[in-house]
Amino acid sequence: MALTDLAIVRRSLRARLFSTCVTALTVGVAVALMLVLFSMRDAGRQAFARGSGNMHLLVSRDASPMVAVLNGIYYANPPARPIEWAKYQQIAASMPFAFAIPTQQGDSYRGFPVLATAPEFFSDFEPNLGEPWRFAAGRAFEKPFEVVVGARAARETGLRVGSEIFLTHGIAQSRQLGQADAVAPHVHREFAYTVVGVLEPTGSAHDRALFTDLTSSWIIHAHDRRKLTDPSIRTTTADDLLETDRLITGIYLRVASRPGRDATALLPAAFDALRRDPTITVAQPVQQIDALFRIVSNIDVIVLAMAGVVMVSSAISIMLALYNSMEQRRRQVAVLRVLGCSRPRVFGLLVTEATIIGVLGAAAGLALAVGGALVAAGALKNAIGLVVTPVFAPEVTLAVLTGAILLSALAGIVPGVMAYRSSVADHLKPLG
Amino acid sequence: MPDTPAGQDATPALRIADLRFRYPGARPTDPWVIDIAALELAPAEQALLTGGSGRGKSTLLHLVAGVIDLLPPNAGRIEVAGRSIHALRGPARDAFRARHIGMIFQTFNLLHGFSALENVMAALMFSDIPAREHRARAADLLASLGIERTDAAPERLSVGQQQRVAVARALACSPELVLADEPTASLDPENAAVAMDLIQNACRTRGAALLCVSHDPAMAERFPRRARLDELHAAHLRAAAPGLAAHGPAKGGGAWR
Repeated sequence: MALTDLAIVRRSLRARLFSTCVTALTVGVAVALMLVLFSMRDAGRQAFARGSGNMHLLVSRDASPMVAVLNGIYYANPPARPIEWAKYQQIAASMPFAFAIPTQQGDSYRGFPVLATAPEFFSDFEPNLGEPWRFAAGRAFEKPFEVVVGARAARETGLRVGSEIFLTHGIAQSRQLGQADAVAPHVHREFAYTVVGVLEPTGSAHDRALFTDLTSSWIIHAHDRRKLTDPSIRTTTADDLLETDRLITGIYLRVASRPGRDATALLPAAFDALRRDPTITVAQPVQQIDALFRIVSNIDVIVLAMAGVVMVSSAISIMLALYNSMEQRRRQVAVLRVLGCSRPRVFGLLVTEATIIGVLGAAAGLALAVGGALVAAGALKNAIGLVVTPVFAPEVTLAVLTGAILLSALAGIVPGVMAYRSSVADHLKPLG
Repeated sequence: MPDTPAGQDATPALRIADLRFRYPGARPTDPWVIDIAALELAPAEQALLTGGSGRGKSTLLHLVAGVIDLLPPNAGRIEVAGRSIHALRGPARDAFRARHIGMIFQTFNLLHGFSALENVMAALMFSDIPAREHRARAADLLASLGIERTDAAPERLSVGQQQRVAVARALACSPELVLADEPTASLDPENAAVAMDLIQNACRTRGAALLCVSHDPAMAERFPRRARLDELHAAHLRAAAPGLAAHGPAKGGGAWR
């Protein structure tokens, strides 16, 4: 058994334990910051990518495809211009779609948007690709005036299976209420809905919504229309509906896939065919989400650049810590050289020491980031019911850790060169 | 035991010839700090070099150890165990020093944070001695020098024991030559005598030649061969003046008494 270079480095790190720990912690914080930023970026992108699920195309009469996606999938605002039922039937029949689900927005419950739709919304549409809807309690709606509540809406309103609610016409938001010219929200008092199901969280905007069937939505609006002409009317049924009452605001489309063939091959043709109709707006949600990310990617770059600066500054602190210890070290270096340690080996000792600080820091950073993310995710879930899954992509994590260790090794070069060039003869003499 | 016992091999432990040295940056008109025509140590021979401080004693030892480079206009030849140490470059010279030269310092220069045993092992780790032998070799050496607490940190040992660890470290690789730089300067006369006994006996037992530099006059009687550094210079100059064989070998002669 012999003494190794690593043993010498270990002794050196231990001799300056405080400095070692503080410097490693500096690296650790930088690594953790970097990992969390990457993780947040990925988690944010994932969260945003949720919601369109297995839908290929979204049709609406919004001004642009981007607005169509923001309204239709993220419930930004209720689409203003409706699509007539006949138009929907024409579009749905124009091609062999896997599904063509009509949706209608406009009503709300305590600020949460209500989506009136068809039963296929639960049976055919998947909010996340490969992840169908799952019910935390109850079932999908089967007849008019039944409502299914999204996970977050249920959590914040306290609605449970069996609750009775009244919907509000329009989205009643406190901001709107404060404005004098805002249309006063109107509660559809005549029609009570029964909650028949509560959904599991999907991590998408759908968690904030309530879902009911189109017919009941048409009925309550037809009732309003009829009361304008005859205030004595007590009730309205499906039989009273006119063709002009049957309005929707969007269509979720999925192109039919032939057995053994990728449906996306048919998608461009379907997209082009629908776009030839100037009265509708057709959006490919995936493209719109990509476009959205291109807009925010500048911010991304700035954030990552900041993290990079933090990283470099932590490398500088390693260099500084070793540099400051060089005065104490020169005698030891001189003694090692007299004992036969070569200059390259002395250089190697310093670089190894810097690298080990980097490795310790990287490990601390990883622990900090993973621990911190788990705590943060738990807190977010408890506080606001937001499901954020910390994502540490292996390749990104590996790159950050490797980068930190390499930078640390680089930081050892300056003190290493100092040790390399340090005069042996000058540092063997007695002190003083 | 020495690798090349005295008597069988006549290769001197140290041979210096025509050595002239000035520090870098000195003017060409400045006197040489070191100017030695010839100096030789037979295997296991012990010699004392005296001279006031600042006369280049340490510089000579550093030149012999090869930790100072001998670059033009400096010139000369320094052979340790038959090898010209300045003909070796970089890591090769370091490896040679590890194996063939031991150094003892006034302040011991033990490594902090390393145990007594590890201090000796540190000398072995840069040599070509097989790694598996290091621990046993260091332990044996310390035991033979009377150190029992081999795992103690040097700063927890007495000064005398630290001295022993330093001697053990210098002898760890069984070098042909040990260089001692003012080994007793920080000791009182009584302890100095004990320390010198230790160093001289240890070198003798292990067959290492010893070149000791000191300005302590009490050292003189311990060494059959001794010289003053300035006299070495002067002898050289005297010899040169009449135009005689100025650079001829002066083994046992010249300024050596």
